[in-house]
Amino acid sequence: MKRSQMLLRQWTRRPGRALATIASVAVAVGAVVATWVSANASRTGYRSLTETVEGIQSVDVAARGGGRFEAKTLPSLGTVNGVRAVVPLFYRPTLLRVGERRLREVAVGVAAETLTDLGLMKLTAGRPCIGFNEVVLESSFAESLGLSLDDELLFFARKGIDRMKVVGLVERDSMAWFAETSSVIVDIRVLGEMSRAFGLLDRARVVLKPEANRKSVLHAIRERLPEELLAEIPAGRASMAEDVLHSADLGLDFVTGLTVAMAWFIVGNAMLMNVTERRRGFSLIRLLGATGKQVRRMVILEAALLGLIGALVGAGLGLAAAGPIAAGISRALQAPPGEHLFVQPVVLPVSIGLGMLVAMAAAWWPAQEATDVDLLDGLATAPQPPARSTPWKFIVAVGVLTLLAIGNQALVLAEILPPRASVPGGMILLLAFVATTPILLPPITRLLALLVPRRYSVETTLAVEQILRQPVRTALTTGVLVVAVTNGIGLGHAIRDNVDDVLGWYARMMRADWVLTRAGMISPAGNQDDTDGGSAEAEARSLEGIARVEGIGLATGRVAGSACVVVARDFTASEPLPLEPVGMSEDALREALERGAVAAGTVLARRTGLAPGDSVAVEVFGRTTTVEVAGLVVDYTSGGASLHVNREVARRLFGMDAADVLLITAADGAVNALRDPLSHIADEHSLLLRSFSEIRGIVDRIVQGVVGSLWAILGLGFVVGSLGVANTVTMNVLEKRRTLGLLRAVGMTRGQVTRMVVIESLLLGAAGGLIGLAGGITTALFIQLASQPLLGHPIKASFRPDVVAMNLLAAVAITAIAAWLPARRAARLDLLESIAAE
Amino acid sequence: MPILSAEHLTKTFETGGDATRVAAVGGVNFVAEKGEFVAIIGASGSGKSTLLHMLGGITRPTSGRVVLEGVDLATLDDDALALIRRRRIGFIFQRYNLLPELSLRENVALPLVLDGLTAAACEAAASAALDAVGMTNRAGHRPDELSGGEQQRGAIARALVTEPALVLADEPTGALDSGNSSRVLGLLRELVEQRQQTLVMVTHDPEIAAAADRTVSMRDGLIVADTAAVAEVS
Repeated sequence: MKRSQMLLRQWTRRPGRALATIASVAVAVGAVVATWVSANASRTGYRSLTETVEGIQSVDVAARGGGRFEAKTLPSLGTVNGVRAVVPLFYRPTLLRVGERRLREVAVGVAAETLTDLGLMKLTAGRPCIGFNEVVLESSFAESLGLSLDDELLFFARKGIDRMKVVGLVERDSMAWFAETSSVIVDIRVLGEMSRAFGLLDRARVVLKPEANRKSVLHAIRERLPEELLAEIPAGRASMAEDVLHSADLGLDFVTGLTVAMAWFIVGNAMLMNVTERRRGFSLIRLLGATGKQVRRMVILEAALLGLIGALVGAGLGLAAAGPIAAGISRALQAPPGEHLFVQPVVLPVSIGLGMLVAMAAAWWPAQEATDVDLLDGLATAPQPPARSTPWKFIVAVGVLTLLAIGNQALVLAEILPPRASVPGGMILLLAFVATTPILLPPITRLLALLVPRRYSVETTLAVEQILRQPVRTALTTGVLVVAVTNGIGLGHAIRDNVDDVLGWYARMMRADWVLTRAGMISPAGNQDDTDGGSAEAEARSLEGIARVEGIGLATGRVAGSACVVVARDFTASEPLPLEPVGMSEDALREALERGAVAAGTVLARRTGLAPGDSVAVEVFGRTTTVEVAGLVVDYTSGGASLHVNREVARRLFGMDAADVLLITAADGAVNALRDPLSHIADEHSLLLRSFSEIRGIVDRIVQGVVGSLWAILGLGFVVGSLGVANTVTMNVLEKRRTLGLLRAVGMTRGQVTRMVVIESLLLGAAGGLIGLAGGITTALFIQLASQPLLGHPIKASFRPDVVAMNLLAAVAITAIAAWLPARRAARLDLLESIAAE
Repeated sequence: MPILSAEHLTKTFETGGDATRVAAVGGVNFVAEKGEFVAIIGASGSGKSTLLHMLGGITRPTSGRVVLEGVDLATLDDDALALIRRRRIGFIFQRYNLLPELSLRENVALPLVLDGLTAAACEAAASAALDAVGMTNRAGHRPDELSGGEQQRGAIARALVTEPALVLADEPTGALDSGNSSRVLGLLRELVEQRQQTLVMVTHDPEIAAAADRTVSMRDGLIVADTAAVAEVS
């Protein structure tokens, strides 16, 4: 008989214990796999969401000093890892004449055939433009002009007037990512030739593969560019962009890390109980001549085998659970169907390996304990309970871990470490909270015991004794709950605070009943013509039932080498300031804006090092103007990379005349009556009309998608926590069957035993919940601090009783449910077998 | 030359929370010759089991030394002591101490398995040992399927399977009825005699002790009588 055979005998003859251990590992590994895969689904969904809002994920290459650059200076970027295509772009303001209508437009020059072949532009009719006298139009634009395939228009260019034929029509959505506001596409060589600017580019848009990490690609591209070119993340075209989603991404990292921590506690507890329960057996083997090394090797071998089996089962379960969760997350985030379940090849081997390693590592300490114990003590049928002295080692551990976490966070805040480094810092802080359990559990348990009705005093007294008898094991069991509750309360607060911050900003920014927008929203180049936005604004103002029309001009710009969005709007004294200043009063900011200064979004300020009082050169439409930064504002426009300026000042300094967005507030009772006349204006000027509730609905859907995905994963954490608790309570009962048998033998009824086990679990649940509450609030503050470098501004932290109550109730309910079956099992234990149990 | 000798052995324990030290064994000298059957007798708390544990290297003395086959056990580390227990000492306990998950044959083979012998060698030696105690037909059964007497015969087989120089038995008949007690005792005596092994047995029962070649009486941690000494004097 080999030692491995001996282990097999032990498992087959005591399957309950082995199965419970395997189940623990399976639950833990399953949780890690499911969380990991679900987090990936969320990230895919976020990316899809960003693409929907912002356009295809890309990086822009432009001339460092602004203006155009020669195409030949652009190095080959197609071989950079993560790059799907390099799209040279050339914009040219032009005048079109269709019949008697004359209109100003920006034509965009691209290699239309290549884009179509790559699937980056979808034609609804015709073919891509490839030669002179050929043009492709955005389909709704063509429709508004009454143009269809093979019709002709006059195109005014520097070289002269060309008669051009419409050879293709294209979907707005498929061209928005490169054409911005433009609706006219001409072959890039042709447009260059017509503009007497052959070989020049405004920018090259590098399209990334879906799985690419934009920042890594950006870094790789920057390394290849000559001095005169720069690479940047394009300024977003809509309100919520990547940096905001980074915050959610950070949340996902936290959740994944916390699940791994929870998995560690579950496996650690299972292994501790698995080994501790057999302490007598190990002592006997040692007495018969086994060396400590032999016993430890046997325990570690067992842990490896159980860990492997559990990890394999868990990986399967995790994948099965991840499917529906990921699908739900994808639905919430409106990701394209079929993209949700992306399992990175590394997930399964790492999770299985981690399961085995954690199992082996978790078995190491109890194995050491089992071999260090005095042989005679180990052989004793009822082992001596550990001394209840002050847990100094835990106090020291709490202190050291807290200091480490604070130090780590200080480095993140000082931007010495990247924001992601907050995740390991958060894990360390979590460990510190779990380490408080052996210190806090005795007083909390005794206090909570006072709340149990007096008629259960016997059961309660015994339950408290059981809890306090094994402080380390109890701490590990409670640790699972502490992690789950910390997770729930911490992330719950952080998510809600973030959402409130975004929604609060949106409410300030978008105060209107109706919103008219140009399809692309942001002007990429000189759009100083009044034929569209300007006249639409005037027409809207002239309508009856209008209380206020607020025009907002948007333009892409560059400040201190970083792309930004310039937002031009009126800051009338009669209306509340639509911006939230950081570190200065609204009145002071309003006054400075009136004076001609600008307000910078916090993210832009962080990226470029801008500070209030700085003078900075801003490039808009190729024109560079120096302005004063009056202050910083909380802003999510283009992820906070924005500059806000008074509209009149924008007109004067940057030539931003037109309104890209019209916020229309109806007079009392006139909201619905405005729908038809505003629709008419929208049709006339190729604008998009949306009611405020529709826009709010879109924002809400996005926010709910992000929040829902995080809650789904958090929910998974709770389910895992409950399974872990159920398993540890079951193992507790298995281990204590002799004690329970003795209690029954001396007259305890089955009902009393059931109640004792349930009360024990409820006390554990409530104590874990309370410690988790403190951990959760601290974690929430920690996440807020970690988000600060991403968002550039602190988010107001608030206490949310509903989140706390929900988590505490969940913790207590989970333990009550988890305890029920083991309690019934305890009550039904065979009396003689229990007493005889070794 | 004695196979086992103990010189000035003491063992004290801390009791309670006030760190009071109690001497379980208070300066004992003891020797046992090869093939000798010695019974240590005394009331509960007299220190006889503690002495046995120190002789077997299960617990270390507070002072004094134990020499087995010329090896001072105090000089050995835990692993070396484990090897001595595995190869040179056989233990028999009142509560049999068989591993409940293993069959009787597996229990008997356990010291050999720990010693790294091949499965076939373990099997053969275990079968021979079980045959010697008349338990061949029960070899595949688990301890909980056996009577107390059968379990103790299995425990004797396990103690003898490595052919140790010294067999230590702690109240081996304490949990058995009188019939089984005499059978087990007779078997034990017969086997150690055949193998010329030294048997040291702790008991509180004078009738059981009477089966030994020599009886050592203990009280309050000290040897108060030794029939060998009486014989020498006479």
